[in-house]
Amino acid sequence: MTEGHLHEEIDRHAHTNPLSKSSPFTKLFFVLSALVICVSLPSPIVPLAVLSVSAVLILFMARIPISFFVKMLSYPTAMLGLSCIIIALFFGDGEALAEVPLPWFTWTIFKNGVTTGIATFIRVEGALSCLFFLVLTTPMTNIFVALRRIRIPAVLVEVSLLIYRYIFVFIEITEKMTTAQELRFGNSSWLTKIRSIGLISGNLFIRTMEQGERTLTAMNARGYDGTIRMLEDLPKPSKAALVATVLFDSILLLVSIYSKDLLVV
Amino acid sequence: MDMPFYLENVSHRYSDGTLALEDVTMSMKRGERIALLGPNGSGKTTLLLHLNGILKPTSGKVHFDGKPVEYSSKALLELRRRVGFVFQDPNDQLFAPTVRQDVAFGPLNLGQSAQEVRRVVEEALDTVGMAEYAEKPPHFLSFGQKKRVALAGVLAMQPEVIIMDEPTSNLDPRGTSEILHLLLRLSRERRISLILATHDVDMVPLFADRLYILNKGRVVSEGTPRELFSDTQLIRSVNLRSPRITHLFEVLRKEDGVPVDERLPLTIGEARREVLRLLGILQDDLTGGSEVVSPWRHHPPIKNKRG
Ligand SMILES: Nc1ncnc2c1ncn2[C@@H]1O[C@H](COP(=O)(O)OP(=O)(O)OP(=O)(O)O)[C@@H](O)[C@H]1O
Ligand SMILES: [Mg+2]
Repeated sequence: MTEGHLHEEIDRHAHTNPLSKSSPFTKLFFVLSALVICVSLPSPIVPLAVLSVSAVLILFMARIPISFFVKMLSYPTAMLGLSCIIIALFFGDGEALAEVPLPWFTWTIFKNGVTTGIATFIRVEGALSCLFFLVLTTPMTNIFVALRRIRIPAVLVEVSLLIYRYIFVFIEITEKMTTAQELRFGNSSWLTKIRSIGLISGNLFIRTMEQGERTLTAMNARGYDGTIRMLEDLPKPSKAALVATVLFDSILLLVSIYSKDLLVV
Repeated sequence: MDMPFYLENVSHRYSDGTLALEDVTMSMKRGERIALLGPNGSGKTTLLLHLNGILKPTSGKVHFDGKPVEYSSKALLELRRRVGFVFQDPNDQLFAPTVRQDVAFGPLNLGQSAQEVRRVVEEALDTVGMAEYAEKPPHFLSFGQKKRVALAGVLAMQPEVIIMDEPTSNLDPRGTSEILHLLLRLSRERRISLILATHDVDMVPLFADRLYILNKGRVVSEGTPRELFSDTQLIRSVNLRSPRITHLFEVLRKEDGVPVDERLPLTIGEARREVLRLLGILQDDLTGGSEVVSPWRHHPPIKNKRG
């Protein structure tokens, strides 16, 4: 496979992996329940379990190359790691873990600050990995239809649907503009670069407004009346997968009860 | 008379004051193929947008099927079912996450049953040769493929008239010829009336029964491609040109004194006949229907001898 853009590759995997034709309801049920359990329970084991199960599903069931999964996870992990280090080192109160005397004040690292930092990191990673499972294995169109079926407000689904489609259009436009600018100014200096980015973003903003108008005109021409209707052909949810998810969720709940005090540094 | 469209002294002024159309009168018979030809900014798109009620004339009237167009939402839905519009940029039109969902959008708006919609979507994608791409998102397609999907989205509504704005712009030669043949097939097999706007003068004689030339919001001339393209002065005055092949024969006639027929050939096919006629191989003129038999045809091609 050719090395493409991340967004294109995600979409390609979503459409070609062995799980792409399985029911989005099953996947949504797994992901949403795992997500809720992951972020709402205190245990650190739960997110790790979700992370492992999601990774196994992504790598072995959906056969996504490990390099790609790692690459996808690396971007948010970098940001997340930085935030969690800041939480660990500068937040918290109560019992001190270390005290660093500096000339003008004493920098205290708190025990519960470090605990929060680590717990936050683990939780978000768990949540991300199960979201990635959904995104990497399910064509967007199926997610939209499924969301609509489970009574997510139509406006939200329609807005997401349009965003999904036009993100690709605007990335293409941005790329064209960037190339055109590089041809004219080159990457001569840092300052020109900043200026170019400014010009492009301004231009892009106007483009989005115009695109909105043209798309609406085109939709009207095919009888748009304020509701985007879709063909709702979805694969049937697999009973086995639903039962497995329920079992998995129950185990998570049990584990969280027995391990809720585990993460104390 | 059986007449889908009749525009009566239509003018349109955009809200910023631009007078984009001025006193346009135009008619179209059922099954006709009409081309609107004009330079950039001459008002082609503005005119087309009047035909399915997206724009309303500032003055004048649009008639469809013998009745003045009404602008209530119910009447417009009916008009838009019968008159499909394929936009110039397929990215404006393709908004759904997959090809199939996009083509289904129009029929679903008409309130057809899911089963019926599935059938017409399948058929429309088949017609434009995009059936195997049904589950793909539009951004995985090439420009020409997007254009065909946009056409399928309109075909699925089973219209009587199809309007296309610049159907061949940005297409490579192969894409251009495919779209052109597809349109001709729709016109011949299903009697769908076609109106298209274009700058592509080489394509016009292959496609159009009749031609309107627009300039600065006005219709400057109307007639068959043959009538209008033989008026070189008119063509140049509106910053257009004749088809290349026509120009070649005009030069041969004027500059070199070759006894080319006054009715200059507009297409490769006509030019071929004219050349054969000039060589004394063909008796009748370029519009004649006799089989062309060139004396060279059954001889092996002459090989280039190289040192
Ligand atoms: N939404 C608008 N608001 C104001 N003026 C407009 C609008 N759309 C078009 N115009 C103006 O109306 C005139 C006719 O434009 P139109 O797009 O119909 O021309 P066209 O023949 O389709 O041109 P092209 O070959 O470039 O597509 C132009 O002067 C144009 O600037
Ligand atoms: Mg135009």
